[in-house]
Amino acid sequence: MSRVDLLDARRAPLLARPFYEGGDPGPIVAAIAHVPEILEAGMPFLSAVFGPSALSVRLKEMVVLRTSALLECRYCIESHSVVARDSGLSRDEVLALRDNKSLTGHFTDAAERALLDWVDAVAGETGPVPEKVSVAFRAHFAEPDLVEVTLLAASTMMLNRFCTALELPSAPITVARLAEEELL
Amino acid sequence: MADGALPGRVWLYSNYHCNLACSYCLTESAPKVLKRELTAQHMLEVATEASALGFTALGVTGGEPFLLPHMPETIARLANVLPVVVLTNGTLFNTARLERMRPLADLPVQIQISLDSADPIVNDTMRGPENWRKVIEAIPSLIRRGIRVRIATTGEEIDDDDLARLCSLHRRLGVSDEDHVVRPIVQRGRAADNGMGVFAEAGDLPPELTITADGAFWSPFGPTVHGGTLDTDLLVTRATAPLSMPASALLRLVMGRPAGSDAKLHIR
Repeated sequence: MSRVDLLDARRAPLLARPFYEGGDPGPIVAAIAHVPEILEAGMPFLSAVFGPSALSVRLKEMVVLRTSALLECRYCIESHSVVARDSGLSRDEVLALRDNKSLTGHFTDAAERALLDWVDAVAGETGPVPEKVSVAFRAHFAEPDLVEVTLLAASTMMLNRFCTALELPSAPITVARLAEEELL
Repeated sequence: MADGALPGRVWLYSNYHCNLACSYCLTESAPKVLKRELTAQHMLEVATEASALGFTALGVTGGEPFLLPHMPETIARLANVLPVVVLTNGTLFNTARLERMRPLADLPVQIQISLDSADPIVNDTMRGPENWRKVIEAIPSLIRRGIRVRIATTGEEIDDDDLARLCSLHRRLGVSDEDHVVRPIVQRGRAADNGMGVFAEAGDLPPELTITADGAFWSPFGPTVHGGTLDTDLLVTRATAPLSMPASALLRLVMGRPAGSDAKLHIR
């Protein structure tokens, strides 16, 4: 049961209406719509961070799913398990990212391992990223990648806490898909 | 004011509670509802910002504004910034309050009182017992003190005979035709529950920036209440300060619709 009244299209404030034009915009939009000026300013930012960019979709979904697992956000884990599968990650990879103890063996590519170590340092710790992790990451990624991955992890953490605190519900279509793939 | 793209008036919902509970009330106002009150200081700040932004007039509505003890003096302060029209049910003008309102005679203030029929029974069925008598007493009392009074008639179908009787009455009371407005019931709030009024959405309503304790709305017909819950479909922004934030958001919305599209229902 969500802890916030999710606004449907009929009750959507004027500035929020464009986000409902394609149908149900999902619970994050339906919750933020209560403060339409934040929705109007925030969604373009989130779309830029989470949408297509210089980083591959596969890498981005690894960041989002791993971060959500570390923050234990049920809503984000469920919804991004589906997105990750659609982005080409295998079922085993999805399960490994969701289980913060079992990455070894599933991700053998050195760049992907460095990426996941970076994400673990950002989302799983509170201090600066350790020097050893930073050196390994920079061996595979450029400065803009470092900024984008960190911003993506940090934005995911923000949404993780928002969705968890407010107990946002997963969409029925997401739950059905997860059941179908035995990922619930 | 963006070269006339927005109407010049900014509305202030001073409060939501009311000593009446009219059958068509958009805000489900009644004596014991949430007050959702704007402070006098907040209203003055909005007025000052509105003037700086180029708005040319203020409206104060509710609820019943005169349930707020400070209202006569607050209207005077607001009217020193911009001309003010205050919407009231006209039932709270006892001698003491009338005397406190005397300074308004020298200021650009209009008191707009609701009167829905020349027939006391018809009027009071919609508005409450003794409403007609109190209004008929209040109007000349205000006029005698030099305060300009307007009359607003709200109804579903007012036939020509009823309107003629009403106009005859307001002329006798000292209110000119120019100061009598007739407007439809809008199907929101309690009117929707009672199956009354016309359906209206943003495109049917003039975009008059409306400030409430809950945020800024498209029009004074926007911050309505249904089933005790504030309607959000005509919400513009939750933030109301600085006033430039909701004003610019409203302007962006206005620029995105065809000119004259609000004229259909004649809701003014």
